Amino acid sequence: MRRSRGRALLASACLLLGTAARADELRLITPNDIGYRELEIEHDGSVGLGHGADGGGFYSIEFGTGATAWWHTGVELDVEREGGPDSSTAVQGVTLENQIRLTRPGENWLDAALYSELSRSTLRGGPDDVLVGAALLKDVGRTTHTLNLFFDKAFSTDDDYRGVRFSYAWQSRWNLYRQFAPAIEAFGESGRVDRPDSFQSGQLIAGPMATGVILLGPLGKLRYEAGYLFGVTDASPSGTIRWKMEMEIPL
Amino acid sequence: MRIPAIVTLLILAAAPALADEQAHLVLRDHIFTPNRLEVPSGKKFQLVVKNDSDQPIEWESEELDREEVVRPGEENTIFLGPLSPGEYAYFDDRHQDSKGVLVAK
Repeated sequence: MRRSRGRALLASACLLLGTAARADELRLITPNDIGYRELEIEHDGSVGLGHGADGGGFYSIEFGTGATAWWHTGVELDVEREGGPDSSTAVQGVTLENQIRLTRPGENWLDAALYSELSRSTLRGGPDDVLVGAALLKDVGRTTHTLNLFFDKAFSTDDDYRGVRFSYAWQSRWNLYRQFAPAIEAFGESGRVDRPDSFQSGQLIAGPMATGVILLGPLGKLRYEAGYLFGVTDASPSGTIRWKMEMEIPL
Repeated sequence: MRIPAIVTLLILAAAPALADEQAHLVLRDHIFTPNRLEVPSGKKFQLVVKNDSDQPIEWESEELDREEVVRPGEENTIFLGPLSPGEYAYFDDRHQDSKGVLVAK
């Protein structure tokens, strides 16, 4: 289905602690991707590479459905592989996702949805997290432009997690074929709302993506996104591989 | 600074569309009627899809990048356009033998 966001808190904590920046969850939320009367099984992943990355990665698997034509809900399992020589992989938390479509596709000048996540950490001392935001979409000719704006608040006694943080995602896609549509996208985090990072201290990665939909008859359809994102700021890894696979099964 | 910008974008999203022309499709016994439906080109229009069967359908067009689930006995409105003149295939994703064409003129 459709989504994007970054976990500014964890990335920022890494920077504050003087460790290398690593790949975090990167998601692009599409306002119209509700999946009404469908079971959606979605896998997302991203791995930071090169300068500024520690080899860690973020992976998730989500089970969701459109409870109504305007409300999507799902549960996601978040897994992170720590970077460095003693890398380990662990389940980080469980996230409840909800998306409410505010407009019908193409009805208004802009398609819009509200999006929220409630994350419960499974790590001892790990912060729970609330994220809310807006997903906006505009079709122009054979191109589709999507913008996500998120506000993220972690709950922890650790000072590193103070404040509300802002992150964003953007994608412009050329709808060349349904099976293959090239896109350009960017993910960024600018730190605390009341004390934004300087441009170079914030995370910003951008690059080309391949996206598409493959119809599988009565089994449903498979959506994919995959690409390579270049680090734009000093705080970003020099490269990030991002992918997403989503199976939509009719109910 | 950011929150007012987001509110402005949401207001833009909520701006109602101008009254559009309507075109009507009915699915019955896995057949769309009319099978070739003429629709206006160069402007927005509403495609009203009625499901006269006893199973849900998913109206879908790859070329228009649009899909809509319609429950049995109900009708849904799909907002389309502006389209360039030409033909745009569509089908029922739950029963892919059920298909038709929108002809934009």
